[in-house]
Amino acid sequence: MKRTSPLWTVFSLFITCLIAGFALSQVYSLTKSRIDFQRNVLAFQEAFAQVFPNAERFEPATPDSLVWLAFVKGERIGSIIKVAKQGYGGLVPVTAGIDLDGKIVAIKVASPSEGLKETPGLGLKATEEDFRKQFSGKTATQLQLTKDGGTIQAITGATITSRAITEALREGMEKYQEILKPQ
Amino acid sequence: MKTQTNRPTANSRQRTAKFDYLLSGIIKENPTLILMIGLCPTLATTVSARDALGMGVAASFVLICSNIVISAVRKLVPESVRIPIFIIIISTFVTLIDYLIQAYQPALYRALGVFIPLIVVNCIILGRAEAFAYHHGIFDSLLDAIGKSLGFTLVLFIMGSLREIFGAGTLFSKPVLPAAYRSAPMLFAIFPPGAFFLIGLLKALVNKLGLARR
Repeated sequence: MKRTSPLWTVFSLFITCLIAGFALSQVYSLTKSRIDFQRNVLAFQEAFAQVFPNAERFEPATPDSLVWLAFVKGERIGSIIKVAKQGYGGLVPVTAGIDLDGKIVAIKVASPSEGLKETPGLGLKATEEDFRKQFSGKTATQLQLTKDGGTIQAITGATITSRAITEALREGMEKYQEILKPQ
Repeated sequence: MKTQTNRPTANSRQRTAKFDYLLSGIIKENPTLILMIGLCPTLATTVSARDALGMGVAASFVLICSNIVISAVRKLVPESVRIPIFIIIISTFVTLIDYLIQAYQPALYRALGVFIPLIVVNCIILGRAEAFAYHHGIFDSLLDAIGKSLGFTLVLFIMGSLREIFGAGTLFSKPVLPAAYRSAPMLFAIFPPGAFFLIGLLKALVNKLGLARR
């Protein structure tokens, strides 16, 4: 077949698609289980360890798995809540560890690969340590931006994102306060 | 997209021509500042030095792979359907890389995840496939891809560094300007208009210095 013949035109496209499709399906099935594992198990363990570094074991406290209890040697030391609120580009998911006094231990804001759509360089800074560390030791009533009369310094140029995170946490802590209280 | 061919002229010596494939991409035929292609990722992903470098490395990898494959199959590809075939090859590479990095390098994926799908729309890659790899051998196409990749990554890195320094007072998230500046930085540099402004200044500088191939 000549390179210019109409039959080869069709056939070359067909072969290209066939090879590409085959390569993609092979690599997809090869990597699928690992990707799922990374997404579900590792990301989850990592997030929990980050917001409650000294806990050893976690147990879901609600059927939707949005509230978890954290244990050390069988003794309950606090809870973890997963909340989300509309930010600038979409929902901003936040995970927070809360001790038995109702104070935040640490928070984690979802990364862009976990679906965060905030502006790089502005709203995305909410995932950085400098912003997150402000939340440690805060109670629900303190969770408000300084410009709204609270204690959280908003990120310059990203008030909407900062406010979404602060309010998501405050509303979550109020909503789940029954579960968060020590039994 | 420019469709200039870079065939060496008849009187240029072979050795110099090969060396030129590699080096021309860095300054004389810099994809972003001279050929003016691939501007979308240049403007969109240069908010910080790290992001810019990540995009540069990811796009370079795809450019090198696609240039090699396209030059290898160039004699089989009919002229009338070459663009669809190039696009299938490029997007296959992008998707494969996306899966592989996600599965085996999760930390890297967290840093680069948002940029990988954007590589498909980077017209440097289709531009080099069309203008160079379709007409040249595998080795020459490899040299061309490496040169253009270096040129692209260099411009991205310069843009990302300058925007991060002026827009946040940091470089690779490390403070470089005094705290007084960092508390009230020139946010304009990080916003999209800052990117247009900076690329205009860089282009003006390149023109002033007369770096473009005449």
